[in-house]
Amino acid sequence: MSSNDYEPKIVVFACNWCTYAAVDLAGTSRMQYPPNVRVIRVMCSGRIDPQFVLAAFEQGADGVIVAGCHPPSDCHYISGNIKALRRYSLFRRLLEELGIEKERFRLEWISASEANKWVQVVNEMVRDLKRLGPVKLEVEAV
Amino acid sequence: MSIEPRVGVFICHCGHNIASKVDVKTVSEYAKKLPNVIVSHDYVFMCSTVGQELIKEEIKKHNLNRVVVAACSPSMHEPTFRSAIESAGLNKYLLEMANIREHCSWAHSDREAATKKAMDLIRMAVAKAALLEPLEETEFQTYPAVLVLGGGVAGMRAAIDLAEYGFEVYLVEKSPTLGGRAALTGWLESDRRGADVVNNLINKIAENRKIHVFTNSELIEFGGFPGNFKAKIRINPRYINEKCILCGECEVECPIELSDEYQYGLSRRKAIYYPFKTAYPLMYVIDQRVCIKCGECVKACRFNAIDLSEQPKLLDLNVGALIIATGYDPYIPPKGEYAYGLHNNVITLFQLERLLDKDGPTQGKLIIGGTIPKRIAFILCVGSRNTTPNSKSYCSRMCCTSTLINAIKIKEKYPETDVFILYQDINTYGNDESLYERAGEHLIKFIKFEEPPVVDIGPEGILIDVYEVTIQEEISIPVDLIVLSVGMIPRRDLIDLLAVTRASCGTDGFLREAHLKLNPVEAPTQGIFLAGSVTGPKNIIESIRTGSAAASKAAALLSKGKVKTEPFVATVNDELCSGCRICVGLCPYKAISLKEINGRMIAYVERALCMGCGTCSAACPSGAMQQYSFKDRQVLAQVLALIKGD
Repeated sequence: MSSNDYEPKIVVFACNWCTYAAVDLAGTSRMQYPPNVRVIRVMCSGRIDPQFVLAAFEQGADGVIVAGCHPPSDCHYISGNIKALRRYSLFRRLLEELGIEKERFRLEWISASEANKWVQVVNEMVRDLKRLGPVKLEVEAV
Repeated sequence: MSIEPRVGVFICHCGHNIASKVDVKTVSEYAKKLPNVIVSHDYVFMCSTVGQELIKEEIKKHNLNRVVVAACSPSMHEPTFRSAIESAGLNKYLLEMANIREHCSWAHSDREAATKKAMDLIRMAVAKAALLEPLEETEFQTYPAVLVLGGGVAGMRAAIDLAEYGFEVYLVEKSPTLGGRAALTGWLESDRRGADVVNNLINKIAENRKIHVFTNSELIEFGGFPGNFKAKIRINPRYINEKCILCGECEVECPIELSDEYQYGLSRRKAIYYPFKTAYPLMYVIDQRVCIKCGECVKACRFNAIDLSEQPKLLDLNVGALIIATGYDPYIPPKGEYAYGLHNNVITLFQLERLLDKDGPTQGKLIIGGTIPKRIAFILCVGSRNTTPNSKSYCSRMCCTSTLINAIKIKEKYPETDVFILYQDINTYGNDESLYERAGEHLIKFIKFEEPPVVDIGPEGILIDVYEVTIQEEISIPVDLIVLSVGMIPRRDLIDLLAVTRASCGTDGFLREAHLKLNPVEAPTQGIFLAGSVTGPKNIIESIRTGSAAASKAAALLSKGKVKTEPFVATVNDELCSGCRICVGLCPYKAISLKEINGRMIAYVERALCMGCGTCSAACPSGAMQQYSFKDRQVLAQVLALIKGD
C-alpha cells in the first residue's frame, strides 16, 4: 500500500461533557478535519477501560485517542479524568512494550470550547500515522 | 433476553445539513443489510412531527425493539427521539443515536468520505443498539429550595420570582452588598438610573421572608444531582452587626484609606466603609484584606456594632437547583491603550457614569481634575471587536447605547460642550435607535474609523488623530476628556466557580448555555441555570429577563416535587465480584460499599449516590462492575463494528 492512499483508522473514546461536546462544536463551527476519526461516547474518561484500547488495536485500529476534561478540576464527575490520567500513564508504557509506537496512542484533554484543539489533535495524529503506516506487530513473537 | 433484536434505522437529512454531504439514500440501503436491522428509512427532518410519526409507525408495523436514529448530536435531539419511541411503547433507553451531522457532514466536505463515515457510525450504533437493555429511571424527592449565586439584577430578579413561586431562596453574594454592577450604572434613560432599578428589587427582597440573603459569602462546595444538590457556603466575617445605624463615626477614625472600587477608583474609601448610598444590607463592613485591626473603629462606635473577632461561618444547604448569575467584569484597558493610565482625563465609560450620577463622587457634576471639560471624545469598541491586540472578538452590546445616553446627558447638562463619538459601527438596536437621532439633534459629532484612533498626550493637551472613513480624511481633534467605551469581559474569578460547580465555558470565556437558542438559560449540567451577563454581554433589561427565565426553568424542574435521574448507574454482578474493594476507593461519590450477600462480602452500589461516571467499571478486574448503557460488551461492540465491518 503506498503512503498516498493509506487512510489510518483512528478510534476515539471521548467523555460526554468535554471532548464529545468539543467535537460537536467543531462541527457546529464547520471546522474541517480529516474524516479518519470515529468517536465513541462514554460519560467520563474514567470509564475508558484499557481493554477498550487494546481491543481497538487488536481489531486493527491504527491509532487510539482517549480524551476527556482538563485535569485537575474540569471533570464533570470530580476526578474521573485524574483516574484516566493515572491509568493511561502506566498503560502507555505497556503499549510500547507491545511494539505499538507511542504516536499511535494519545491521551488528550479537550474542553467543550476547544474545538480548535480537537482539530489540531486529529490533524497531527493523521499526519503521524500516515508517516508510520499500518501497525506492524510481529504476530509470531507475541 | 432471548428476544432477537429487531433494529430500525432512521436517517435524517436535516434539510441539506446532512444530505448535502452524505448520500443518505445509499446509507439507508447500506443500513438495511446490517445485522439485526429490519427496516431503514431516510427522511428530510426526522425530528419533525412527521419524522417522529414515521418512527412510531415503523416500530409498531415491524415490531421493532431497538431504534437507531442517525441525525444530529445526542445532546440536541436524544430526548426528542427517546420520547418518540416511548410513546410507541418501547423503553426509551432502547435508542442509540449516530451523530452524522456535527461529527460528520458538518466537518467533512468530501461527500464520498462523509458518506463512508456515516455508514461506519451507523454500523457502530446498530451494533450497540442490539445490546441495549431497557432501563428505568429512579425517582427522587426534590428540595423545594434554590441557591442563587450573585446579587445583581439578574440574581435578584430570579430570587424574587422563585420566592413568589413558593420556593425558599438562598441568595449568595460575594461582595458586601446586593446590587451588582447595575447599582453603579448611572443613567439608563433620561429620568431613571441603574440604582433606581436596583433599589426597587432590593425593597422586594428585603420584605420577602422566603429569600435568605447572604452577602460577603461564597459557594465553596457543590455536589449532588438535580433536585438534590448539597451546597456549602462560607459567610466571610463582616465584623459589623445589625446594631449598626450607619452613623459613620467609625469611618472617620479608620486610619486605612484606599481606592474606592465602587466609584471605579475616582475617589477613596476607608477600610471600614458602607459601599454606596443604597447598599444592602444597611450595615458597614470591614475590608478584611486591608484592615490592621487597630480597634479605632470599635472605640468610635457608640452602638457596640463592631466585633473584630468575628470568624468565617460555614453553612450547609440542601437545594433543588442552582442559578448562576455572577455577572461580568468591565474591560480594563492595559496602560497606554488609547493613553489610558497615562493621563487623568482618559477615563472609562464606567467612571463617567459615576461622575454623572448624583450619588457619585462629584454629586453628578462632570468635574474632572477640578474643571468641567469643554471638548469630550468617546471612543467606542474599546476591548471589543478586535480593535486592539488586547481586544475580545465579540461586541459587548450595551456600550453603544450607554455611550449615547451619557453623551446626550452631557449635552443636556452642559450644552456648550463639544462631544465627539468615534465609532466603527453604531449598534443601538431596538428602540434605542432613537438615541442615535437624538444625539444628532444635540449636534454630537460622529466620526467613523476603521483603523483605531491614535491618542497623543502632548504639552498642549490630549490630541486624537484619526482617519475618518466617510470623508476620507486624516483629522486631528484636540480634546480635554477621553471616555473609553469599554466592553464586558468574563469575571476574573469565574474560574473558581467553574471548579466548584463544574459549569463550563464557551470560547469567549463566559459560561456556556446548554443550547444558545433552545436552552438559553440552562447550563449543560441539569439543574444548573444561568442568568444575566455570566453567559455574555447583556444590558440590564436582558439580564432581568434572563433572571426571570432562569427562575421559571428552575421552578419547572422543582414544581413536581420529584425528579427522575438517568439510569446510567453502576451495577454489580454478584457472582463475579470478588470483593477486592478497588471500586470502593475509586468512587468519587462514596456510592460503593462492601455488603454481605449470600455469605460473601461484595461490592454494593447505592443507586441514589451513583452519578454514573463508570470509573468503577473501568477498574473492575473481573468485569463484575458494569455501567448501564456503557457496559463493556456494549462499548466493545462499537469498537468491533467500527474496525471489522467495513
